[in-house]
Amino acid sequence: MKIKSSLILLSVLSLSLPLTAQAAGNAAEGAKLSETCKACHGEGGAKPIQPDYPVLAGQHADYLVAALNQYKSGKRKNASMNGFAAALKPQDIQNLAAYFASQPSDLKVKY
Amino acid sequence: MKKIALSAFLLVLPMAALAQAPAAPAKGDPAAGKAKAVAICSGCHGIPGTKTAYPEVYNVPKIGGQNADYLAAALRAYRSGDRYNQTMKGLASALSEKEVADIAAYYGQK
Repeated sequence: MKIKSSLILLSVLSLSLPLTAQAAGNAAEGAKLSETCKACHGEGGAKPIQPDYPVLAGQHADYLVAALNQYKSGKRKNASMNGFAAALKPQDIQNLAAYFASQPSDLKVKY
Repeated sequence: MKKIALSAFLLVLPMAALAQAPAAPAKGDPAAGKAKAVAICSGCHGIPGTKTAYPEVYNVPKIGGQNADYLAAALRAYRSGDRYNQTMKGLASALSEKEVADIAAYYGQK
């Protein structure tokens, strides 16, 4: 009886795992997709061409995923980004986020 | 004919200059921004590993070293509803334009 309930508990726990784990992005695949982004955000997303465009290099991957998802859904509004994000598949978003997060920049947590 | 072409050129010139003009740079005071930032931003953006809560969970963005003009635009977008995050909407709505510029200048320092 004890074994049975532990088994049930274990299977319930393992079911909940994929909900919290981030689908891993592949930075190398993201790099291939990043050509479009480079035109405005600069090489590696580190040198935006306009001062009101964000640096993406070194940003948290999960934040970048959330931002792209919000652009895709229209929850976050920007004429250019809504269009670009709409064309991205969920795995593309993970890959791009992994790529930009891996790039060097001056972004930091500042108190 | 020459005169007409010249006046047309002179007319177009300032328009072209306007179209080319980059977004107005944020002229904030980073020292004033620091005091404000420590009071209202640092609790989340100043502590490594801080995450958002409802409805999505992710790391709050790193804003140190980010472009100041982008940060000011982000704060205004939270205020206008072009960006949505309940916490950020509340905080950004309480800021004056000067405070937006000052905070952006503080975090934007390279």
